[in-house]
Order: sequence, then structure tokens, then C-alpha cells
Amino acid sequence: MTRPTPKEISAIAAVAGVPVNAEVATRIANSIGPAFEGFAAIAGTLPFDLEPAAFVVVQAGKASK
Amino acid sequence: MTTEPALMSLTSVAQAIAQKQVSSREATQSCLDRTAQWQPRLNAFMAIEAEAALAAADAADADLAKGNNRGTLHGVPLAHKDMYYEAGKVVTCGSRIRRDFVATTTSTALQRLKDAGTVRLGSLQMAEFAYGPTGHNAHYGPVHNPWGLDHITGGSSSGSGSAVAARLTFAALGSDTGGSIRMPAHFCGVTGLKTTVGRISRAGAMPLSQSLDTVGPLARSVEDCALLLGLMAGADPDDPTAVTGPVPDYSVATTGSIKDLTIGVPTAFYVDDLDSEVAAILDATMAVLKREGVNVVQVELPDQRQLSAACQLVLAVEAAAFHKRWLIERPQDYSPQVLMRLQNGLAIPGVTYLEAMRWRGPALAAHLAAVAGVDAVIAPVAPVAAPTIAESDVGNSPDAEAVIQRLTRFTRPINYLGLPSLAIPSGFTRSGLPVAMQLIGRSFDEATLLRIGAAFQRVTDFHDQVPKLA
Repeated sequence: MTRPTPKEISAIAAVAGVPVNAEVATRIANSIGPAFEGFAAIAGTLPFDLEPAAFVVVQAGKASK
Repeated sequence: MTTEPALMSLTSVAQAIAQKQVSSREATQSCLDRTAQWQPRLNAFMAIEAEAALAAADAADADLAKGNNRGTLHGVPLAHKDMYYEAGKVVTCGSRIRRDFVATTTSTALQRLKDAGTVRLGSLQMAEFAYGPTGHNAHYGPVHNPWGLDHITGGSSSGSGSAVAARLTFAALGSDTGGSIRMPAHFCGVTGLKTTVGRISRAGAMPLSQSLDTVGPLARSVEDCALLLGLMAGADPDDPTAVTGPVPDYSVATTGSIKDLTIGVPTAFYVDDLDSEVAAILDATMAVLKREGVNVVQVELPDQRQLSAACQLVLAVEAAAFHKRWLIERPQDYSPQVLMRLQNGLAIPGVTYLEAMRWRGPALAAHLAAVAGVDAVIAPVAPVAAPTIAESDVGNSPDAEAVIQRLTRFTRPINYLGLPSLAIPSGFTRSGLPVAMQLIGRSFDEATLLRIGAAFQRVTDFHDQVPKLA
């Protein structure tokens, strides 16, 4: 996964119903880009059956020392 | 007993009022007197309700005289971050958009403290919509650090940190989505508890991120945090995410021995690139804990940068979704920096957001496996003490996110994992600025953190230091 380009951000924001101009799109790309890069090793690797609710299941489990 | 009631701890003043050694009026007037002195310098309060507070204090005293004790905090004056709804009160959320918003309901956390008998002093400043880690607020001005007026308080619970440190309120509610309780605790020298996601109901608290938001106290001691947590924790029909299990006796937990407990210090990330004084205070804190009988071992944690990145993705999307209507209708009413941060969430595809949410379970499981041999992990809250207000006033500059990333580097991974973390004052820099360490625990095991923190505070006095009015 790579960071989105300003052009892609403009398109995503427009679809979201909150269009941004080119300057803002560039700023967003620079700002949020590191998060995409930091998550790149995880993106696209998760198993099929994994649901977000797995968090609650793990949280509720008794983790013994 | 101290001659100035405002200098007492929450626990002590509650007992003194119950035993009629101090009246609620005396305690309330003492807080208001200090507020009159400090507020022009700190800007910690959003609203001061002196007349109403004194009337409520008189009513509490009258009740007590008749033998009607309302609860554990009967007559104790408190003020909270201005994002906890109280019916009939303006709740600004630190924003222009909600400058005149009058709540029609009362948040569960606040109601539980009211049910325990508290008196309302007013409301406390905060970052706009709790979306900023420094304490700057473009609409209401920055909150100042009582240990150095040119320095930031940290945010987003900026007023809570500043007011508790200056002894203007005995404690205050904050909220922690990316570090917003622990950072003000660190920068202002007070004790702050970020609770496990689900430990305290969030009903009636302004939302920022439904997956990450937590309610918690900032107070003068671990003992005070334990008392407040015990009053607020537990199931709530108005918030189905609040867990339904029994609430431990957190106050009892603070009395336990820590001999033979094991604390892990991370081998990387939390010990990298620390300011030298912060590093020395981390070492000194571990030395104190060792003297108290704790085993300190090294722990190798999973990649914390990935957790931080996932936290950013989740937070950005959920915050943007909450604010979408105002982003369309009232973008001009946000400060540039908060608008910028909210716009970040527009750039993240739904699939990416859901991947970040789906990874949360395995990430937590991996963390728990890594810390299986320890009772808690210790780490600095931030790599530095409080920067100045000027140097961290990044506005909408391209560097803003980098500054924010540095400040929140050690807090965000914990929010992503939903874990509890207790920030305890652990020392001061040579220039007199406070530094805190955080004790990170397992899900819903706040009791162990409180036990360790209370033992630390029994043999140190960093939490008892009071800033002087210049």
C-alpha cells in the first residue's frame, strides 16, 4: 500500500461529499502519507475470516501472566 | 491539616467535609480564590460559576448538617473538561461551532460524580473538539502550564491538566483518544488515568472516535484517580460498549504491596530518541520501583510504529465522519489546524479503515503475548518535557503533523490497543518542568496499575509539588 496522491485524494474527498482543492489535497497527502506507509506491512495481509469484533474477543479474554 | 483547603487531595478533602472538619463552602471558596489568582495567567477555565458553586456548597453543608450525606464526594467542588454534557449547561467542546450549545442530557460519568455529591465549579478549557495534543485553542486562547507559563499544557485535556496542577479543582475529567489525558498529566505534573476502552461509559461525552475514545480522571494522586474510577466505572444502558462485569474495588487496590511484581521496560521505541533528562527520570523511576521490591525486566514489544499508524487511520476516519456535516456546512468555523486534521480523514478509503479495525484484535493478542511475563510495562509519556507555546504553535503549517506525531508518539499505540495506562509524576527537569512515566497494563486491569502507582507515590513526592504563582 502506498500513500495516496493529491489527485487520488481529490477524487476520494469528492466522492465523500466534501471536495477539497488541489492545495488542500497536497497538504493532506503529505500529512496522512506516513500513516499509510506505517500500515503498509499489514494492509492486504489479513486473513479472510478476521472481523473487527475480534478485538473485543481478545480484550475480554483472560490473559494470564 | 493544611490551612488552605484547596491544597488537600480529593480523598482528604472528601473525608474532611464528611467529618465536618472543613465545610463544602470553605473548600469551594478556597478553589475559587485560587482560580481568581491563577485564571488570568493560565486560561484553564472555560466558565467559572462562582455564585452557583457557593450556593451548591451551602446546600451541601446544610444537607450534611441534617445528616444527609449524598455520597463519597459530598460537597467536593470539581470542574471538568468542557465536553461532558450537563443538562441545561453550555458545553462548548472548545469550539466556535458549539459556543452556544446547551446540552439536554447529562453524561453518565458526570452524573455518577454528581450522584456522589460533587459541586460544580464551572467548566475547563480544552483543545477544539479534543483534536489537538498541545493545548492551543484558536478560539479561546492557549492554556498555560502553571510550571512555566510560556509552556504548553499538552492536550486535549489542557484545562484539566493546568487546573489540577494549580490546585484550582481537586480533580477533573479528561478524555483520551490519542493521549489526551496522559500528555497533560505529563506536562503539568499530575496523575492521569487512561482507562481501558469500555471501562467507563462514554454516553453524553462529546465523541471524537468511537473506537478509541476513553473517559478518565486527572487528579493529584493515584489514590484520587482510584476513587474517581470506582465511582464512574461499570455498565450503562446508555452506552452498550461499557462492559457489564463487576467493578473492582480500586481504592483497595492502591493499598497493596508491589513486592514481587514484574514490570517490563521496552527494548526499543519507547526508549529511543529520549531527551536526556527524560531518560534519566525513567532510570530513576525504575530504581525506585526496584527498591520497593519490583522486578524490572526488558520486554520486546511488537512494532509500535504500525500500531501508531493504524491508530491514525482509525482516528482520522472516525473524526471526519462525526464532523462531516459541519465540514460541509461550517468549515469556516473550525480553526485551520483542526480543519486540516479533520480533512485528513477524507483521504482514507473505507477498505483501509476497515483493515485497520480488523487488525486490532490480532495486534492486541500479539501485545498480550509479548507482555505475558510482566504485570505492567513502563515507558515515558513523551520523549520531552513541555515545549513552549510559541515553538509548538504550528497552525496549519506543513510541519504540524510532524510536531503532533512526536508529542503523541508514545501514547497512540496504547489507544489503538485500547489498553489502560496510568501517567504518574516521576520527576522534574533542571528547568523545573514535570515529567511523567506511564504504566501500561492489560485490558481492564487498571487495579494493578493503581497498585504500582500508589506504591510509587508513597515513597516519592513529585505528585505533591505545587507550582508557585510567579
